[in-house]
Order: sequence, then structure tokens, then C-alpha cells
Amino acid sequence: MRMVNLRAPYNARRVALVLAVILVLGFLLLPGQLQSIFQQVGSPLGWIISWPLQAVAGIHDRIAGIWGRYVDLQGVEEENQQLKRELDLLKEQNGQLREASVATERLSALLEFKKQVLPTSVAAQVIGRDTGNWYKTIILNKGASDGLQSDQGVITPAGVVGRIVKTTASTAVVLLVTDPNNAIAGLIQRTRDEGIVEGTTQGQARLKYIPLLSNARPGDHVVTSGLVGGFPRGIPIGTITRIDKEEEALFQSAELSPEVDPNRVEEVLVIQSSSIPAEGERLGVPKHKP
Amino acid sequence: MKGFIYFAVIVGLVPVQSVVLSHVSLWGVKPDLGFVAVCLVGLIAGELDGLLVGLALGWAMSLFSAQDLISSVVLKGTVGFLAGLAGRQVVYLSPVVLVIGLLVVSCLAGLIAPFALKLNAQQDWWWATWTVVLPQACLDAVIGGAIYWLMWSRLNIEQLMSESRM
Repeated sequence: MRMVNLRAPYNARRVALVLAVILVLGFLLLPGQLQSIFQQVGSPLGWIISWPLQAVAGIHDRIAGIWGRYVDLQGVEEENQQLKRELDLLKEQNGQLREASVATERLSALLEFKKQVLPTSVAAQVIGRDTGNWYKTIILNKGASDGLQSDQGVITPAGVVGRIVKTTASTAVVLLVTDPNNAIAGLIQRTRDEGIVEGTTQGQARLKYIPLLSNARPGDHVVTSGLVGGFPRGIPIGTITRIDKEEEALFQSAELSPEVDPNRVEEVLVIQSSSIPAEGERLGVPKHKP
Repeated sequence: MKGFIYFAVIVGLVPVQSVVLSHVSLWGVKPDLGFVAVCLVGLIAGELDGLLVGLALGWAMSLFSAQDLISSVVLKGTVGFLAGLAGRQVVYLSPVVLVIGLLVVSCLAGLIAPFALKLNAQQDWWWATWTVVLPQACLDAVIGGAIYWLMWSRLNIEQLMSESRM
């Protein structure tokens, strides 16, 4: 076997290196015209080489196309399915998180309201509606065993919901403020005129027995008066939408739009009667000393 | 066995009436499944069963309603008893006849209710008839008729009636 002798004599190597440098520099320094000559001389060779090159390139492209359109699509299909599953999962999680976020906001507001206003109230969830069609009631998941009793007021941070009319050990029935058979002592916040709020058959509420001289008008807010019933003073009941003044009547009445939509209530606070501050306590009147 | 079935009906009907039907009510009125159940029990099993189931169901449903105990128990018990008496007088009862019967009886029971419950003056007889009584009677009749038709087509109802009254 013939071996290449790389151990050339020092002078020969030195001469070859110098020639190579000169060649490179010569090509670099060669004028443009001479460069095009080399290009033209080499073009037939390039044309010959271009045939197999194009063929291989074509095959490559064909294979790449087949791979991309069919074989690789299987992965895309799987990936697509996977992404769809992930999307569904994320949508579901997003829905749950939104619901949790809304519930957290609602419960936080309820808790804050409870801390600020009614330290001894009981929080309860709505679990059902009246079994009949004659009364508008909701059923709570707390009952007598949790300290709930008849005539206790039921509220949300938005306002009055109703009052308890019946309890079992673990449930309570709340007659809604929109039921015509309910009656809550109300007060027009601006004019300080008092009356009785009862529901209407249209699902609204009505403030009755407003003095004739009252200048109540639509837009006025009605709150609990705190005189009777299981509510402290100042809990919102509704906003006056219309004043009804009949001739020769002793009183006028007002139609109210309730602050709380009873059909959308999910959590409520039940005011325990002992937690309602007396009028003197509320106004900060000092107690008499014996 | 019969007692267990009645117990299951009572325990199952109250949550359905209170929770599920509130979402599927039409024009704010839902059918009274308790009334339908009491009528069917009375018709098929006789006046004693109708009366007892009516009393128990009326009591159970009144616990989850603002309706007072007495009116609920008495109305349901009476309906069950009368259904039992009516069932004893007939040999063959087609679903169509049952639907008409349920419609009439539900209307009558519904018209008595406002007086028995001493409702607010706003809820007068005219309001009650058009807003609650008639829609509820139609729903009761349709649901009762559907349940009876299912039983009628799947079971030998005459044999069931005669066996259950023995």
C-alpha cells in the first residue's frame, strides 16, 4: 500500500504553503473579468452536476412533502387532539375558577358585612324553594339546631331577603319580601316617613301607610325602620319606583323595586334577634346607673 | 313492602318538588307532584292508603313551605281519600278520563286553597284562578296522565288495583 509521506522536507512544505497563500490572495485580488472567465469555464461542469443534484433535491422534496402531509400529520392529528383535550380541560378549569372567584367575592363580601354589621348572625345557603305555588319562599340549610327561629330577619349585603316563618332541626323556610303575605316595617331614608312593606303579586314590593303630607318621590330608598320584626334599622329594602296617591285616601303608597332579587339569592345571613342593637345602644346613649 | 314504597315516594317527592321543579316551572307555576301521587295511590290502592299517604305527604310538604300544616295535611288527605272512593266505583279507567278527572279535582282543590290559607287581599279568587289554579291543574293533569299511561301500558292496572285493595 502506498502511503502519503506527509513528512516532506522543510523547504518543500514552506514552498507549498507560500504558493497556497499566493493562490488565495491571487483569487481574491483577481480582477472581476478574470473571475467570470473561471465561472464560464466551470459552467458545463456545473450543468452536468446539476442533473443529479436536482434529482436528489426533487426526491428529497417529494419525501419531505409526503412526510409533511401524511406521516407527520399523524403526529399533528394526535397533537391536535391533545390540544383540544387541553383546551377543554382549560375551559372547564377556567369556568370553575371563574365560579370560585365569584363565590369567593360573594362570600368575602358577606363575611365582611357580617363582621361589620351583625357579629352574631348566622350564614346559610339556599337549598330550595317552596313546595307549593301559594307562597314565595326559599329554604335554608340551617335550622333550629343552629339557633334559627321564626320571625328572624334574613338579609344579604345588598338588602332584605325576607323573614323566617318555619324551621325544622336542619332547615328554615324564609318568606320573601316580595310575597304579599309578608310585612316588614320600612322607612323612607330621605323623608324619614315610616310605613309597612309588603310584597305584590307581580313579584315587587309596596310601601303602605305613607302619610299624605310626605314628599316621597321615585328614586327614594326604603330601609328597615327597626321598630318591629327581626331587622335592625337601616337595612336596604328597595327603591321607590312609583307613588300611588288616591283621592280621599288617608295614606299614600309607593311601589318598590327590591334591592335583592330573591330568585338569584344563594347565600344569606340570618339575624339572630339578640344581636339587634336596641335603639339606645345604637345611638350610643349611656346606660342608667342604679 | 307497600309501606317502604310509600315512604320512598314521600321522601323522594319533597326534594324533587322543592329543588328540581323550581327550575322547570312554567310561568312561575309548578305542578303539585304530591297531589298527583296521592290521587294515584288513592285510585290504585284504595281510600285508606290514599288517606294515609295524603296525610303523610301533606305533612312532609308543609315542612318545606310557608303553607300551614293543617290545610296541607287536610287537603292532601281528603284528596287521597276521595280518590280512593272514586277508584272503588270504577272498573276501568282510561288515561284520558284520568286526565280530565285530575284537572277537575286539582281545580276544586286549588279553589279551596285561597280560602283555607287566608291569603293577602291582593291574592283574590280571580287572581288565584288564572295565575295559580288553572295552570297548576293543567300541569297536574298532564303529569298524572303521563304517569298513569305509563303504568297502564306497562302493567296490568286492573289486576294491580284489585290486588292492592285486598
